[in-house]
Amino acid sequence: MSGERVGVVGGGFMGGTHAAAWAALGVPVTIFAEDAADAAGVAARTGAATAGSLEALIAGATIVDICTPTDTHAPIALAAAAARRHVICEKPLALSAADGEAIVAACAAAGVRLFVAHVLRYFPEVAEAKRIVDEGAIGDPAVIRLKRAAFRPRKPAGHWLFDPARSGGMVLDLMIHDLDFARWIAGDVVSVQCRSAANERPELGVEHALAILRHASGAISHVTGSWAYAEPAFRTSIEIAGSRGIVAYDSEEARPISSWLHAAPASGQGAVGIQKSLTREDPFRDELADFLGAIREGREARVSAADGLAALRIGLAAVEAARTGRVVDPAEVA
Amino acid sequence: MARLRIGILSAAHVHAPAYLALLARMEDVALAGVWDEDPVLARERAHAVGTVAAATPAGLLAESDAIVIAGVNRDHRALAEQAAAAGVHVLCEKPLATSAADARAIIDACRRAGVLLMTAFPSPWNSVVEALISAVREGQVGEVVSLEGVNTGEMPDVHGAWFVDPALAGGGAVTDHVVHLADLYRRIVRSEVVEVYAVANRILQEGFDRVETGGLVALRFRNGVFATIDCSWSKPRSWPTWGGLSIEVLGTGGAIAADAFRQRLDLWGRREDGASWRSFGSDANAAMLRAFVDAVRTGGEPPVTGEDGLRAVEIVEAAYRSIATGAPVRLDPPA
Repeated sequence: MSGERVGVVGGGFMGGTHAAAWAALGVPVTIFAEDAADAAGVAARTGAATAGSLEALIAGATIVDICTPTDTHAPIALAAAAARRHVICEKPLALSAADGEAIVAACAAAGVRLFVAHVLRYFPEVAEAKRIVDEGAIGDPAVIRLKRAAFRPRKPAGHWLFDPARSGGMVLDLMIHDLDFARWIAGDVVSVQCRSAANERPELGVEHALAILRHASGAISHVTGSWAYAEPAFRTSIEIAGSRGIVAYDSEEARPISSWLHAAPASGQGAVGIQKSLTREDPFRDELADFLGAIREGREARVSAADGLAALRIGLAAVEAARTGRVVDPAEVA
Repeated sequence: MARLRIGILSAAHVHAPAYLALLARMEDVALAGVWDEDPVLARERAHAVGTVAAATPAGLLAESDAIVIAGVNRDHRALAEQAAAAGVHVLCEKPLATSAADARAIIDACRRAGVLLMTAFPSPWNSVVEALISAVREGQVGEVVSLEGVNTGEMPDVHGAWFVDPALAGGGAVTDHVVHLADLYRRIVRSEVVEVYAVANRILQEGFDRVETGGLVALRFRNGVFATIDCSWSKPRSWPTWGGLSIEVLGTGGAIAADAFRQRLDLWGRREDGASWRSFGSDANAAMLRAFVDAVRTGGEPPVTGEDGLRAVEIVEAAYRSIATGAPVRLDPPA
């Protein structure tokens, strides 16, 4: 064992999920959260230690795992890089391309690794779809449809997730999963068109967006992101049509268990809906194990810092396209 | 009551045999015959339902009160103008024409001649679509915000080489599939499309690149609703059926998804045949033809007008302009 020690920043859903995954991987983990009660709660559930300050957390860790609201990613990542700690950062990497690039540059200059936690790439149906494409089973990807339709997070008004200045809004927080997925399948994106209910009809309070991407390869992608479905929906679908075939998945059709119970159990969804698969593997644990292995073995992980930065640029292009009605090149966003 | 005499003016379209069979079963209709540029095809189609092949369009029009134009897209205008000049009512296969100018010419010719013109969009009579429209009208999704539709299928060259010949069809997947959803969206949203953005490629259906096979279209309606259409010929030859049409409506009250061809049985036969889907849904073509005959009889406005066909063609034309320029294209149709 190389003696990596992880410091998780943030005591929300993702901080707790990551701390539990690190514990399951047998990696010593310490947590710091702005609200000490959040950190204490995660520590009690996962066996993580707690740190009294961000500085103390960074000082005691070899890997800093950032699970905080998006607007705080950049300063924490820069502080971790300055202390020569490896950085794992929740998606999206930052709120601006400039901040994202600054994080990438700071980690490179410090000689530390940077990973962006696009966990979707570790979900079994997503990974299998990618494998099928890589096998050549459908030929060259041509038309890709990806959907992520969830209910509005059950968070109080004023929560950072609902503040575009802090989260980037639904497109940057949720849709970015599939923007990354589309790029993973069909390569770099050269233009983004997007319409969002938040821009078209702000008075309705509906978060729902449709985006159309053009890839450098010639492939085109349609991406749906939504917080407008009824609870407990978390619908996802994948359709990748290629020159020789088509591969498709729909969470509504792929239900291994159905039930008609007089006393229905709770949906199992927390305040923020997540994608669930009835597999023994845990995508969050697999993701962090891959990052840890990449650090220990000096290899690439399934998702790189450059992937995280590219996804951020596509997401920012979608936000800009939805705001202006223009078709936006991800290379031009600031 | 005298039977309405209906002829088929050009039978190149895959729907022609189905139209003939359905018309032959209607008690108040008498088949007037079939004309096609290809006399062998005309005879084959005519004899299958016990009617006659006409030697010329004029000969068929002289025997018809109404005709169904089921020829190649490019010929719709010339055939419709001939029918109008002969005082014969017209049901024209979709798309109404290969350009908005031709679609307008068809409308003008029929109006001048005082004959009825209907565009053959069967989807409004698909019973799943009808249920979706009713649910939206009842307000089940609250205020409509967004529509997402998929009308994808196999490459239609299996139904005739002309479908993938740009000179005869007018284009590829965008021409073939956008009009159905564009028309349904107008019925659901009750507003007109004022902006069109589209992208397309020629990657699907390896080895074929004469026309676009993949396409995505984004629409914006005057009332603020936004929508997309996937019109791709993305289904491989191994797909269990020709393709399908589905719509998801998202509103302030949640979402409703409708799969127009989900009423089906799954069939497995010999290993080499793979799976196939057999529909048990109501026949939308039968209901559409009934509506046409009723409109001709009563002299009322048909449920799908020439203007409806024109609006869809304008959207297709704008989609091609957007594909060429990479930018959204504005439209300003009358309210």
